[in-house]
Amino acid sequence: MVISVDERCLRLTDESGERGALLGMRCLQCGVHVFGPATFCQSCTSPDLEEVELSADGTLYSYTIVRVPPSGWPGPVPYVLGETELPEGPHVLAEVIDCAHEDLRVGMPVTLALQTVGMDGIEGSERAVYKWRPV
Amino acid sequence: MSQFRPVREVMVVGVGLHAFGRFPEENLSDLARDAVVDALRDSGVPWSAIPVAYFGHVYYHGMSIGETTLAQLGLTGVPIINVENACSSGSTAFWQAYWGITSGVFDMALAFGAEKVPSGPVTVTAENSPARYIGGDHMMAGYALRMKRYMEETGAPASALAQVSVKARQAASMNPYAHRKETYSVEDVLNSRLIADPLTLYQCCPTSEGGAAAVLCAADALDTYGIDRSRAIRVAAAALTSGNYNGRGSDHSAFSPYRTEPAALQAYEMAGIGPEDVDIAQVHDAATIGELQQIEALHLTPFGEAWRATEEGRTALGGDIPVNTDGGLLAMGHPFGASGIRMVHETVTQLRGEAGPRQVENARVGVAQCSGAGDVTTVHILTR
Ligand SMILES: [Zn+2]
Repeated sequence: MVISVDERCLRLTDESGERGALLGMRCLQCGVHVFGPATFCQSCTSPDLEEVELSADGTLYSYTIVRVPPSGWPGPVPYVLGETELPEGPHVLAEVIDCAHEDLRVGMPVTLALQTVGMDGIEGSERAVYKWRPV
Repeated sequence: MSQFRPVREVMVVGVGLHAFGRFPEENLSDLARDAVVDALRDSGVPWSAIPVAYFGHVYYHGMSIGETTLAQLGLTGVPIINVENACSSGSTAFWQAYWGITSGVFDMALAFGAEKVPSGPVTVTAENSPARYIGGDHMMAGYALRMKRYMEETGAPASALAQVSVKARQAASMNPYAHRKETYSVEDVLNSRLIADPLTLYQCCPTSEGGAAAVLCAADALDTYGIDRSRAIRVAAAALTSGNYNGRGSDHSAFSPYRTEPAALQAYEMAGIGPEDVDIAQVHDAATIGELQQIEALHLTPFGEAWRATEEGRTALGGDIPVNTDGGLLAMGHPFGASGIRMVHETVTQLRGEAGPRQVENARVGVAQCSGAGDVTTVHILTR
């Protein structure tokens, strides 16, 4: 059974770690959504929040091709980092996969894709990680 | 609506620097101590008269490093507070020094900051954070995302962003304290190695080491301590904010620059001035895009137009709104704990008319703006 990279942000819905949903909190007072956990609403500070699954589809707000990776990055170099805007409002950063660099466009539709990633040489470090993929 | 009620007028009466660069022979305390000694000498105030000190730094060099650093000057028993607030650690220390005095608690205060840093891309999260798997914790990749979006929205050409870096080096070539003093062209900047498209190496600030310090004093206590009134510079506003959802940051963008705006508005209100009154600005240019977006968030130009002001030379020395007159983070380098106080150092030096070849004619109002992870923003306004 694969473990989610962050159970507060990504809920897995099958044992293979290939399906899941991004988690967020919706404010019952003002309707604002945030990606990931929150105790009070980020906007109005109301405590009346409910956990929701966020949309799997969004648009690419911005992107960059990272040539010099941060320490500990377990993926390919270079990699595409995308900032995706979800219809509920939050922006979610993740790698954009399966897209040639020349096909990247601000505003292009992308959808959630999960990949299992392990840290080089570290046993038990495999995690299901959320990524973006062009539609 | 300001929640702050300054009671006493506060002046900066001394500033000091340890040069910025790489100093393998010196430890954090050495860098910090040299800056403090320089600031004390500049102020004419002896260490024995300082009642409180705030030390900005980010990387861990052992507990109570501020105390062990200042122990070299004498064990005077005063409170010493270690401050970590990301890239704004130094400016947060300055902010605390200001509020310690204006509140009436202290007559004087020392704010200082220094940093020893590892090389390579800067990350914000802890070593075992899920962020390492996700690949988004990369300071310059964050700036690259902002830059791509900015260029898309405003039509700014790559050359306009490169010009920010060219301008920084021109200023730094006249600054003996700067890490990078050699000048270069727009082509050099654009042809330097790509770090995260479209951001090239010469558009990213170097990770540097250095120290900075400032001595602050209540205006009503200057004579008590025999301080030269003619070189004292007034702190007209000191604003510090964290993420403000209802600011312009509510576009949810992870790297929204507009989180500076609430701090800027608070500072202008405190100072009783507007952006049109600003003569010089030091802003957080960790990358070229940072300078453009901070200029806009400070309302020094309309949103989306700072790149034009840069192309027209308006933000260079000799322009009508000179920005980062000492070379900024891009050329000074960025020792996190020191940078915010380094901006105060340059502002004070300019307002005193002591900036030599970099001097901006008749500068009377200066803004120093510093940003940090966690949406920390400081905006200080200094006036002559
Ligand atoms: Zn709410």
